[in-house]
Amino acid sequence: MNNKGIDRDELFREILSAYLRSDIAAIEFEDRDHLDGDTIAAFVEGNLSEREARPVNSHLVDCSFCRHRSAELIRLDLEFAEESAKAPEAKPAPTKVSDVLSGILGKILGAGEGAVFAHQEDETKEEEDRKDDRGESE
Amino acid sequence: MPSDDPQLNNLIRECSDTIAEVYEACVASQPNFGVSSDSFTESVTDSVSKFLCSGQENPPSADEVREFVRSIRSDDLFLAIACAEGNERAWWEFDHQHRGYLERISRHLASTDLSAQEVIDLVYVELYGTRVVDGVRMSKFATYSGKGSIRGWLRTVIWHALVDLHRASHDEVSLDGMTENVGEGYTHSTFKNKDLGGEDQMIDHLAHEKYRKATLDSIRTSFSSLDDHEKLLLLYYHSEGLKLREIARLAESPGSPLRDWFQRRSAAREKDPSARIHESTIMRWLDKTYKLILERFCSELSGKHGLKQEEIDVCLELATRDLADPDIYRNLASNAG
Repeated sequence: MNNKGIDRDELFREILSAYLRSDIAAIEFEDRDHLDGDTIAAFVEGNLSEREARPVNSHLVDCSFCRHRSAELIRLDLEFAEESAKAPEAKPAPTKVSDVLSGILGKILGAGEGAVFAHQEDETKEEEDRKDDRGESE
Repeated sequence: MPSDDPQLNNLIRECSDTIAEVYEACVASQPNFGVSSDSFTESVTDSVSKFLCSGQENPPSADEVREFVRSIRSDDLFLAIACAEGNERAWWEFDHQHRGYLERISRHLASTDLSAQEVIDLVYVELYGTRVVDGVRMSKFATYSGKGSIRGWLRTVIWHALVDLHRASHDEVSLDGMTENVGEGYTHSTFKNKDLGGEDQMIDHLAHEKYRKATLDSIRTSFSSLDDHEKLLLLYYHSEGLKLREIARLAESPGSPLRDWFQRRSAAREKDPSARIHESTIMRWLDKTYKLILERFCSELSGKHGLKQEEIDVCLELATRDLADPDIYRNLASNAG
């Protein structure tokens, strides 16, 4: 029996592709730790050295969950790199962060957490006032 | 607080001059962030432990640690530490530098039933941290190592926030199901059923099974013989459906080990290390790799399984027909196990 003119290389590519898509090439790390977002982000950006990347590569080969997450982030990275190249980013005017956080935290958790941040801000202001009193400049 | 690993603590002490140098540069750039030398050193120690010690056979040398410390995005790390500690000026700076980006990513990823504003709110809450352990607020910023850019890290934080929101709004849903609704998603291409001329009545069921098992075993062995870089790139291309330009993007960073790895395989690029790695480079690499695996596959079938050339053709033909039923591989794999 022969392949009746169908290119053997082409056939093999399809077979290999089916094998890789079938997930039996990978072992799910069900009971083991997955890579954290920080590690995947550094990997996707190509910021890991050979030594640092070795265990990450090895994990991504075996763990389809992390590989899938990293693939999604590679897509996102490229989409945003292309978008940024087309249109330079306009920086919004910064808002008072404590107000933003207080609003969000208040909305989600009630007033308590927002108050924590506002208290921290007060402390910062008090410290600045003390510096001003002492004549220290920034 | 020093690490629990005395060997790591010694290394950090040995490299304290480099850490101090990087710290001073950060303080000079942002004197009002209020980050102490101790908390900076602690954060750097965590990063060294995570990337240079964890999962490694040998501990790093002092030179490797120094190189690592110089390679981290120290300004981003300094900002993250200050934000984790709740410094108002650092938060203002973060908001000024990155809020627009955060909003654009959220709007890009959020689908119709997920509000971008909800995502942004959730991310800010996570970044600030609402859980308190032993009197310390657990800010998400504390998980940033400085190894990648803070924007790359933010993308993962937003992506995960979106997954959490989606799961919350759709009870339990698989990751695949979620990504179909988030961003580009990924699609499995359908298996093609090639018409190879009908059933060959001369080969009975048992022979088919024998050839299928030999095929699966040989694919598995030939794929396993590749190094991890090669396996991962093939899996990205076939299993995750990444495009060539997306794979090329992985090798774009000048310090990327993937870039070095591609360069070692190209004499032209070795002469000019700054040359871009194009999609065509990846395509050529894929072609070479397919040929290599096919050679190993055939050699496994003939050597280990004692098949003749005609029988190898039978294996290829059967496997091609089986593409219409990918479960056949899964069933064979589970039977073999």
